[in-house]
Amino acid sequence: MISVEHVSKNFKKLEVLQDVSLTIGDGEVVAIIGPSGSGKSTLLRCINLLEKPDAGHIYVDGIDVTDPKTNIQQVRQKVGMVFQHFNLFPHMTVLRNLTYALVNVRGMAQKEAEQKCLALLEQVGLADKANVYPATLSGGQKQRAAIARTLAMDPEAILFDEPTSALDPEMVKEVLRVIQNLAGTGITMALVTHEMGFAREVADRICFLDEGRLIEDAPPDVFFSTPKSDRARQFLEKVL
Amino acid sequence: MQLDFSMMVQYLPYLFRSLRVTLELTAASLLLGMVISIPLSLIKMSRIRAIRAIGSFYTSIFRGVPLLVQVFIVYFGLPWVVEGLEFTAFQAGCITFAFNSAAYISESLRGGIMAVDVGQREAAMALGIPYGKMMKDIIFPQAIKSVMPSLVNEFISLMKNTTLISTIGLVDVLRAAQMIVNDTFRAFEPLITAAAFYYVLVMAISALGKQLERWVNKSDQR
Repeated sequence: MISVEHVSKNFKKLEVLQDVSLTIGDGEVVAIIGPSGSGKSTLLRCINLLEKPDAGHIYVDGIDVTDPKTNIQQVRQKVGMVFQHFNLFPHMTVLRNLTYALVNVRGMAQKEAEQKCLALLEQVGLADKANVYPATLSGGQKQRAAIARTLAMDPEAILFDEPTSALDPEMVKEVLRVIQNLAGTGITMALVTHEMGFAREVADRICFLDEGRLIEDAPPDVFFSTPKSDRARQFLEKVL
Repeated sequence: MQLDFSMMVQYLPYLFRSLRVTLELTAASLLLGMVISIPLSLIKMSRIRAIRAIGSFYTSIFRGVPLLVQVFIVYFGLPWVVEGLEFTAFQAGCITFAFNSAAYISESLRGGIMAVDVGQREAAMALGIPYGKMMKDIIFPQAIKSVMPSLVNEFISLMKNTTLISTIGLVDVLRAAQMIVNDTFRAFEPLITAAAFYYVLVMAISALGKQLERWVNKSDQR
């Protein structure tokens, strides 16, 4: 589904990603972890081309997203993204946040889109918030609405960029529960997170990044019990 | 010197007709100016430096040349070089004021657009929303919040600047007052009346602006 091949990315002189390669199979859940500044978010943002890699190729369903001829908007409709700061559209009601792209990009009829999105809001426990503006929601509710907005486009894959990092501790669980319910439904997921317990629980694989390099790529029980590298061992000692 | 405002009463219908000219000129110029300012603000944010330079050159011209000179150039100058081109005083005023205020409005629009959280743009891109729709439905409606106060200011100064049109013969409020001065040989009452007209107009525009600000901010209320 997603294949990252020898990707490098620099911001000015800083090498954020160095020759990173990894594949994420259909329906697979991959957690990307590592110290801050290790390039986790940048890697994720390269997949839907919010950042343009300086070298290497990224394929989504066999389509090279780094090829300038690729229609990136079509790829982005297949690969949804959930942001750390939710990025809901503040001037639209929650329901319209969900229906906007369906109606205006997909061309779905307004009625049909509303029905579909009300069902999604129900699924994330926000059925009663359809007609309020995002400013009235708590952080956890905002993130659940943002996940529902991503789901509305029927993505084949979702990129989660630290979805719980901006939340108050008591709201983390409600968001993780929604993400957990998605794992195993056939949606491919790449998840940048600092929630080690959660990564261990839902991920099929753990990718450990440090200083822009992919150092380990292993199933969670292997990674967490017997990490191969010193860097991963040091990191785990600090966070666990 | 005895002041006598009662003699102004007979001129009120005349003044109200001239008020209509001022209002029409202001409204037409503002609308046209806003329309021009949108592509202009996008030009000023282009990724290509040469295109950005065109935008700042435009603004520097309209900022750097006195408005009255601009009015004269459009009204007297242009028809002289372009054969067959002729403007009415109203058209010349409208064009000059519109292009002039577009220079200022586009600056604040650019500021407003840049002030919209970059995450909004990213969320729109991640949903596959194309650039035009993103600007129209996601970015502009949020930018307009921070632009609204300076838009109201521009509206007010545009309205006051329309008095320059009296120099090329259009009978706006100021010109009407001058005619009354000629007619009555009294200078104070007609000019004070004109001043009162403008003052009331400015107050009305600011009140309207406050309402508009409240309206664009309605989604922020908890």
